[in-house]
Amino acid sequence: MRLKTSLLKEPKHKELVSCVGWTTADELYSCSDDHHIMKWNLLTSETTQVVKLPDDIYPIDLHWFPKTIGGKKQSQAESFVLTSSDGKFHLITKTGRVEKSIEAHCGAVLAGRWNYEGTALVTVGEDGQIKIWSKSGMLRSTLAQQGTPVYSVAWGPDSEKVLYSSGKQLIIKPLQPNAKVLQWKAHDGVILKLDWNSVNDLILSAGEDCKYKVWDSYGRLLYSSQPHDYPITSVAWAPDGELFAVGSFHTLRLCDKTGWSYALEKPNTGSIFNIAWSIDGTQIAGACGNGHVIFAHVVEQRWEWKNFEITLTKRRTMEVRNVINDAVDLLEFRDRVIKASLNYGHLVVSTSLQCYVFSTKNWNTPLIFDLKEGTVSLILQAERHFLLTDGGGIYLYSYEGRLISSPKFPGMRTDILNAQTVSLSNDTLAIKDKTDEKVIYLFEAMSGKPLGDGKPLTHKTEITEIALDQKGLTNERKIAFIDKNRDLYITSVKRFGKEQKVIKIGTMAHTLAWNDTSNILCGLQDTRFSVWYYPNTVYVDKDLLPKTLYEKDASEFSKNPQIVCFVGNQVTIRRADGSLILLNISPYPAILHEYVSSSKWEDAVRLCRFVKDQTMWACLAAMAVANKDMTTAEIAYASIGDIDKVQYINSIKELPSKESRMAHILLFSGNVQDAEMLLLQAGLTYQAIQININLYNWDRALELAVKHKTHVDTVLGYRQKFLEDFGKKETNKRFLQYAEGLEVDWDKIKAKIEMEIAKERERAAATPAVRASVTVQH
Amino acid sequence: MAKAVLGDVRLHFDELNKLRILDPEVAQQTIELKEECKAFVDKIAEFQKIVGNLIELVDQLAKAAENEKMKAIGARNLLKSIAKQREAQQQQLQALITEKKMQLERYRVEYETLCKIEADQNEFIDQFIFQK
Repeated sequence: MRLKTSLLKEPKHKELVSCVGWTTADELYSCSDDHHIMKWNLLTSETTQVVKLPDDIYPIDLHWFPKTIGGKKQSQAESFVLTSSDGKFHLITKTGRVEKSIEAHCGAVLAGRWNYEGTALVTVGEDGQIKIWSKSGMLRSTLAQQGTPVYSVAWGPDSEKVLYSSGKQLIIKPLQPNAKVLQWKAHDGVILKLDWNSVNDLILSAGEDCKYKVWDSYGRLLYSSQPHDYPITSVAWAPDGELFAVGSFHTLRLCDKTGWSYALEKPNTGSIFNIAWSIDGTQIAGACGNGHVIFAHVVEQRWEWKNFEITLTKRRTMEVRNVINDAVDLLEFRDRVIKASLNYGHLVVSTSLQCYVFSTKNWNTPLIFDLKEGTVSLILQAERHFLLTDGGGIYLYSYEGRLISSPKFPGMRTDILNAQTVSLSNDTLAIKDKTDEKVIYLFEAMSGKPLGDGKPLTHKTEITEIALDQKGLTNERKIAFIDKNRDLYITSVKRFGKEQKVIKIGTMAHTLAWNDTSNILCGLQDTRFSVWYYPNTVYVDKDLLPKTLYEKDASEFSKNPQIVCFVGNQVTIRRADGSLILLNISPYPAILHEYVSSSKWEDAVRLCRFVKDQTMWACLAAMAVANKDMTTAEIAYASIGDIDKVQYINSIKELPSKESRMAHILLFSGNVQDAEMLLLQAGLTYQAIQININLYNWDRALELAVKHKTHVDTVLGYRQKFLEDFGKKETNKRFLQYAEGLEVDWDKIKAKIEMEIAKERERAAATPAVRASVTVQH
Repeated sequence: MAKAVLGDVRLHFDELNKLRILDPEVAQQTIELKEECKAFVDKIAEFQKIVGNLIELVDQLAKAAENEKMKAIGARNLLKSIAKQREAQQQQLQALITEKKMQLERYRVEYETLCKIEADQNEFIDQFIFQK
């Protein structure tokens, strides 16, 4: 990826340009010390003077009023705020009419920013004050007072917090009074510029120590650049938060969000005082010290999938290279390419007006449909369909170009969604809420309706990243997520009445990804790279989980590596320095998954015997239990040496009725409640009681016995025996109550039990459908 | 006699016997003087012209010299600043080189991992064939 810059021969402004701002993707306003405001139309390459300001106004900063206000969309920004050196800020319309000039600070007003809703404006000045203003320019409050000039300011993603600089310090101050202020020393020199992205919640700062740094919103340093030759005078996040631009004397740099630099340009610009990204995030404009305005657009993005390599060579041209036969196709588009995604055999490209869908089998005839709103901010693909988000909503399209659904939830903000907060699979869509970060909204992909009872999934702490598995049955859809404490959890998406368990399977996880062809999960935990070959194990036999895990030392990947993708048996990881690392994992688990999904148990066993790997056997054991194929489970458990489990499986096999066997398989997986419910439904009250007795779940056993008015003496008998064995006294009030006036007669109890078992046998014999094998398909 | 009388009343006759107020000799000398004066004035004028030309020329020369001097100073300064410019350019190029080097390093790392994968896969194929 690099920047293609363009600079006019002669500067349009006579003095230094202090600030720039985009109205649409192709129109820019620039202000200069020569008091002119210029409008740059990139479609016609025309530059016109909008207005000449009075001679005493020296502009310093401008910011356009946000486009969307409370869901109401405007086609483009209508007015902007301009701060000036005489201590005023001015509200100026698109045509250049100064609507209002408001005395704001003593000394120059150094920066002014609208919040994301456009309901408030923050200004900072040389006098060290931070002031909040209403939309019409009425002073709401003076948020803070610093001893030094405040050079730059930015709103937090939720418009609830303000970030500003004071000397070498960065300060995050919430708007609510008395809320905790976060303050830290960020640079060794005065901080000149900062920016806070609403999508990824990361902070950028740049200062006179010639460095730029990336922080998270807790003030933790994520990246610090090498010192440059000159102070960094400007930084700006791209709207989608994937890239940022850095400006300095004769320097323009394009960086990844993790800090490493994609490209460096050395244009003849003087210092670049201000950088603004266009709305669609494809180009930047810089305000140069020598009166120029520099334009640069991002080209040579690359997408790779299997044997295809796609490069955006020009703004409207893509080059597709098939690595296998070196065939090259050129894809031409009518408009500028804004976003693209390549996965599952399809390339989805959005331009400013249309969406193109290519199949990797045929590059010549794309499917084209028009977009409602031009600026697509995210494209996510699943095997059967893909998702587009723009300012207005989320849309699911099939690869045939048919609109499938458009899920919505209250308070949805589509502009801040990214691949970490949205996940798509063939049947489910998961979206992390921004207002309450503990909540994940789940939707049926086909209908766009909330899943199940419509209640979102709620976790106990804030969630940072979510991912849905891609294969398998809809009923078994799983979602994995990482929370704020960096713990990795997995849970089922479907909830049948009762609350599904959210199970922790990892700690210190930075990043995760599901495989595209089978339900294998990989993640980076602290300094280890882990692959969960069969994450569903946690629902089947939790003890088995460590055995189904593949781990590898990942300390060589240095700090904060990110998983880019997990395609086939190849994991692509991006190190903090930007280099890509590819890892191969064993192809066998994927094959095993395939066999199991088509119930080829013999083949699966044969494969495991061939591979001779404990991990594979452990996976097979878990898979077999999950699919209730006890024969295979027995073989697999025997191979990994879990003799106790083999014995239990054998004992299950000898159980008289189908229901009992089912119940015990459920018990085997630790689903006591399900097992009990199953038995009770089948009328096997005694067996249900016995389960509870065996688990020393005395209260429940007694409750059942009393409720069904049977075997109360059995429960009491076993309880007495238990207490005697452990030399304890009865303290449970209920048992004491029932023990009164009830004689425990073991002969009687035994006779009763015999009778129950015989009864069950009879019943089983009466239903001829019981197969000889224990295989019970669900 | 007559001459003396005329001399008394300061009248004279010249050779052509015309009556003259001035003594012809004096008159002759006066005319000569006048002519000489005229010649002198002419010469002086010519001299002035020549001198004017000379001054102009010298002025021009001075200007040219001044120009050349300025040029020389400019060139000298330029020479001095070229060194600085070079340095700046070098710095810029150095920065670009560093950038490229970093990119190269990234590619090298990627290449290495790809090589490793190739080796892994070859080993896997070998193993597979061997086991079969």
